[in-house]
Amino acid sequence: MENGFEHEHERVAETQALAGLFGFLARCIEEEADAALIDLIRGELREPLAAAGLGFDEEFYHTPTATLVEVLAEEYTGLFVAPGCISPYASVVETGCMFKEPADRAAAAYRQAGWDYRNRLSGEFPDHIGTMLGFYAKLAEAEATARLTGDSERAEQYQTQREAFLLEQLAEWGPGWCQRAADAALLPFYKRLLGMAEQALWSELEQRVERRRLRELAALNRREPKRLDYDADFRKASGL
Amino acid sequence: MSDSIKFTRRDFMKFGGAVGTAAGALGLTSSRLVAMEQDLGGKDYSPATGAERQAVPYTCMACNIEDGGVAYVENGRIVKLEGNMDHPNTRGKLCAKGNSGFLHVYDPDRIMTPLLRTGKRGEGKWKRISYDEATTLLASKLREVIDRADAEHKPEILNEIVFKYGRDRTGGAVGRFMHALGSNAVLNHTNICESSKKIGLEPTWGPDIESCDWANTKYILNFGSNVLETAYFMNPNAQRLVDGVVGNKAKLVSFDVRMSNTSGFADEAFFPYPGTDGAIALAMAHVIMNEGLHDADFISNWTNVSVKQLIDHLKPYTPEFAEEESGMSAKDIRRIAREFATTKPATTFSYRGPCKHVWGSYQEAAINMLNVITGNVEKKGGYCLPRGMGWPQPQPEPPKGKTASLIAAPPLYPLASHHVSTHAPYMIKKGEAKVSVWMHYYDNPVYTYPSSHVWKEMLSDEKLIPFQVSFSPYMSETTELADLIIPDVTYLERHDPESMPGGLYPCLSIRQPVVKPLGGTQEFRQTLIDVIHKVDPDGSKGMKKYFAFNSVEDWMRAHFDAIPGLKEDGGWDFMKKKGVWPIYGEVDKVTAKIVDKNGNDVEPDYGLYTKEISASDMAGAEVDPDGTIKKDGQAIGVQVNGRNMVGFGTPSRRMELYKASYKKYGFNPLPVYKRLPSRDKKADELVLTTYKVNVHTQSRTASLKYLAELYHKNPAWINPKTAAARGLSDGDLIRVTSSLGYIVTRAHVTEGIHPDVVAISTACGHSAYGRLAQLKQREQAADYVQGGDADIANNVWWNDKGVHPNPIIRLAVDPIGGSQGWYDTVVTVSKAESGDKYGDTNASLEASMKDYEETLRYAYTGDIHRSKHQEVDIDWNSLPEPALPSGGH
Repeated sequence: MENGFEHEHERVAETQALAGLFGFLARCIEEEADAALIDLIRGELREPLAAAGLGFDEEFYHTPTATLVEVLAEEYTGLFVAPGCISPYASVVETGCMFKEPADRAAAAYRQAGWDYRNRLSGEFPDHIGTMLGFYAKLAEAEATARLTGDSERAEQYQTQREAFLLEQLAEWGPGWCQRAADAALLPFYKRLLGMAEQALWSELEQRVERRRLRELAALNRREPKRLDYDADFRKASGL
Repeated sequence: MSDSIKFTRRDFMKFGGAVGTAAGALGLTSSRLVAMEQDLGGKDYSPATGAERQAVPYTCMACNIEDGGVAYVENGRIVKLEGNMDHPNTRGKLCAKGNSGFLHVYDPDRIMTPLLRTGKRGEGKWKRISYDEATTLLASKLREVIDRADAEHKPEILNEIVFKYGRDRTGGAVGRFMHALGSNAVLNHTNICESSKKIGLEPTWGPDIESCDWANTKYILNFGSNVLETAYFMNPNAQRLVDGVVGNKAKLVSFDVRMSNTSGFADEAFFPYPGTDGAIALAMAHVIMNEGLHDADFISNWTNVSVKQLIDHLKPYTPEFAEEESGMSAKDIRRIAREFATTKPATTFSYRGPCKHVWGSYQEAAINMLNVITGNVEKKGGYCLPRGMGWPQPQPEPPKGKTASLIAAPPLYPLASHHVSTHAPYMIKKGEAKVSVWMHYYDNPVYTYPSSHVWKEMLSDEKLIPFQVSFSPYMSETTELADLIIPDVTYLERHDPESMPGGLYPCLSIRQPVVKPLGGTQEFRQTLIDVIHKVDPDGSKGMKKYFAFNSVEDWMRAHFDAIPGLKEDGGWDFMKKKGVWPIYGEVDKVTAKIVDKNGNDVEPDYGLYTKEISASDMAGAEVDPDGTIKKDGQAIGVQVNGRNMVGFGTPSRRMELYKASYKKYGFNPLPVYKRLPSRDKKADELVLTTYKVNVHTQSRTASLKYLAELYHKNPAWINPKTAAARGLSDGDLIRVTSSLGYIVTRAHVTEGIHPDVVAISTACGHSAYGRLAQLKQREQAADYVQGGDADIANNVWWNDKGVHPNPIIRLAVDPIGGSQGWYDTVVTVSKAESGDKYGDTNASLEASMKDYEETLRYAYTGDIHRSKHQEVDIDWNSLPEPALPSGGH
C-alpha cells in the first residue's frame, strides 16, 4: 500500500514536471518572449535551467530587458513567421501548405480534451508546434491534478490522450523540426531552447515506443519538409 | 482430328501488329466508348467521403482577365477551382493560372501578419505586429502629412502621399481612399502595359480596346498578340478564336517577331521587323483605298475624314515601302490586304506587339483604321466596341484632390491620360517631386519595370522615400524594401466588384471570400476602412464619412443592391449566389454557344453606335451642320441620313481617324509610321523583345508550384543564322548586352524567331517572391539531410530559375500614349566571357538616368519630336506650355 502511494506520488511528480517542461517550451516557441518571460528565465529559472544544462552567456543576463525583447522578437519573426522561415506548422511540414488536415487533427484533439483554439495574431493555426507542446503540457497538468484528487480514471484518460497526441501528432515531425529550427536560429536563446525541445521530445518518445519504432521515427524526423502536397485529384481534374 | 488451333502469344502479337498497320482497319474498335470529358459546371464530391463539396462562385484574379470561377470547398478548404458556367464570356473555362490560383492561399511563404521593419531597409529583418498596430502606424504617418498640409495651407503637400499599384481591381476603393486623403498621387502600371493601345483607340472611338467577334468572323489579322496564350482577355478570346477558325472556317493571319502558339495556329504567319506593324497596316490601307476596296459609305457617314483625304495621306505607304521597313513582301501585303477587304466579316486584333514601342499609338491607330475603312466596325463577326457594365459608387464620394500630382501626370505627356509611371523614380531622384509616404499594392516595379534597378535604388533610399508600406501578401522584390507590410488576403478571400469587357455579353461579376481569410488575415478593403477611421477618428477632417461602412459586405451592398434589374433579382445576395449577372442563358455543351431555355442562340447586340436617340432625349437638342447632336453643350449623338443615333464616344460622335488632340502637340493627327531608332541598328546588333508565357503573369505566379513546374527558365530565343554568326549553339552561356549593362543567360537556338531579334520571356529570374520562385528550397541544411533525396522530398526537379531581362531594358516612352517601348532596346549577343556565371546581371544606374533624359527629347517639347514631325502643319513655336492638369485627376 505504501509502495503504491509512493509510486502514485512519483507519477504525479513526473507528470507535473512534464507539464512544467513542456509548458515552458510552449511559451518560448508559441510566441515572442516578453519582459515577464525574460525576467523569469534570467531570475527564478536561471538556476534550474543551468542545472538542467541550459545556460546562456553573460550578455544574455545583462542586456536591458527592453532591448532583449526587441532582439528576440526580430529573431522570432525571422525564424518562425516571415516568408522563408522554418514554418512551425505541422501542415507545412507534412503537406507543404498552410492550414491543412494536420491543423484539423490538432484542433480536434484540443476540443476532445475540452480546450478551444483561439489565435492571438493573424496567421496562427492550431498545428503550431508551440501550441501543440502547450497542449501536451496541459494534458500532463490535468492528469497530475486528477491524480492528486484521487480521480485515477480521469487521470488515465488524460494520460491516454496525452500519449496518443504525442505519438500521433508530434512524433513523426516534432523533434526533427526542432533540430532544423535550432540549426537555423541565429541567437543562442532559440538555438538552445529548440535543442532542448528536441531532446525533450525524444526523451518522451523513448519512454513510450519500442526501439524499432524509434528508429522509424528517427528516419521520419529526418525528412525534409514537403514543399507542396501533390493532389492527384486536382491534377486529373485540371488535365495537367 | 481436332480443328482447334493453338495460338501462341507470338501469333497474337504478329496479328495485332498487322491490324494496327492495315489502312482499312483504321478505327477498328468499339464505337460506343468515347473519351471521358469533365462535366464542367457540375457538382463536385469528395473522393474520400462522397460528400458534396460547397461551390462558391468568384471572379478570378490570377491575372487581369477576371474570368468567372467556382471554388469547391471541403472542410473549409479550397480543394478545386473551375470555370463558372454562368459567366457568358468565359463559359466555364479557367486557364492554367486560374486553376492553380488556390495555391496562393496556402503558400507557406505567404505573409500572414503585418511585419514592421527592424533592420536596415531591405535587410530582411522584421517584427510581427497586429493589424491594429499596423493600421495605427500607417494612419499616424498619413496624419503627419495631412496636418502639415493644413498647417501650411498647401494642399499640394498631400500629393506627398503616393499610392502605386500594378493591379487595382478594387472597383474604386483605392481612388476613394486616396481622394479621401486629398492626394492625387496615384500611379498605375498602365504605361508598362498597353497605354499606347488605349491612346491609339480612345480618341478614335471612345473605349480603350476592341472586342472582336471572333466566333462569327471569316478573317482575322492578328498584330503582335499572342491571344491563344496570354494577351488581354486571353481565355474568352482564345475560346472564340478557336470557335471562329475551327467552327466558322475563318482565316487567321498573324504577325509577330516570334513563333508564338498563336502564330503557330495561324493559316499564315509573318515575322516582320520589330515595330513595323504600323507600316504594314498603312500599306494595306493604301492598297484597300487605292483599289477601291473600301467601304465609302461608312467612311463618309461615320468618320471625320474623306476618302480623298485618306488616299492622299496614305500615298507614301506603298507595299514596297512597307516591305523595305518590315521585311514582309509587297506581294504578300497586297494579297492579304485584298483578302481582308473582300472577306466579310473581318476583324483585326492587336495587343502589345505594335503598341509597346515609341510611337506605338500610331501603330495601334493604323491597325484600327483597317477595320474602319472596310466597314467592319460593330458588325456581326467584325471589330466591335467593348461591352462592360458599370456599378454605382457608395455615396458620398470624396472629391478628387485639389492639386494635380506631377509624378502621376507628368506634364510633358499631355495625351497620355493613363499616365507615365515609369518616370516616377527619375523625377523623384532629380528632386522634382517629394514623397513622404509611399504605398504599394499588387505592384512589383523592382522586378517588372524597365531598368528595374532604378526603382530598387529609389525605394531603398530613405531620404527619397521616408516611409514605405506594402499591402502585398507575398515578399516580392519591392515588398522586401518596405518599412511596414500590412498583408492583404488573396483574391479568393476578399470582396471586389468586377465588370470586364471580355466578350460581347456585358456583365457584372464579383469577388467574394470563398473561404474565410486564412488565419485571421485581413482584406485590403477593411484595412482602408481602419486606416481612414484612425486618420480621422472623430470625422473632423471630413474623411470618415466616405468610409462609413459597417463591414466590407456593407460596402459591396452599396455597389450592387440598387442596380436596376439586378435589384429585382436580389442585388448583392444574387451576386453571392451566382457570381455573375445577368444570366444570359446556358452554355450549350456541344456548340459552346449561349442558348436560351428553348435551345436558341442568345446573340449579342451589334451596331451599338446606331442605336436611335429617343424623342425625349432629343428634346432641346440641336444638330450642328456636321450632324453632331448637342444638348446642354454636350455631344449626345450624330445625325446620319436623317436618323438620330448615339454614335461613338468622341466629340463628333463619329470615328475620329483624324485626331485633333494629337495635332495640338505636334503629332500627326492621322496614323503614320515613324521609323524607330532600333530599325537603324548596326548589322551585328539585335533587338531585344520580351514576351509573356501561357502559365505565368509578369511577376506573381513564379511561387505557384503547378505553374513553376511547367515553366521556370527563360533562355534567350535566337535564330540559327544569328547564332551561327556568333559561334553560338543551343544551350550556350551567353552575354546579352545593352547600353545599360549585361545579363548572362543561355541561348535557345530556334527557327521561330526573327534573325534580327533576341527574345527573352518575363516571369523568371526572381530574387524574391518566396522560396520556390528563387529555388531556395534546394538549399539544404547539410546536417539535416541524412539519406533523403531532396529532389524527391521536395518534388522540385528543376535547377534553373531563369534570368530576368528587365535590368538591361532601356527606358523609352511613347510620347503620345506613354507606353514603355519594351521592344526598342538594341543589344549585342555574344558568348559569355571568362568568369561569367549564369544569372550575372550588371546594369548601370548612370546610363539609365541618361536614358531618361534621352526619352524626354521625344516628348512633345523635345527636339527629337520636332525633327521627326516636320510634316505636321502647326506653329512649332506656339506649342502649349507643359502644365499640370487643372484640379484633380
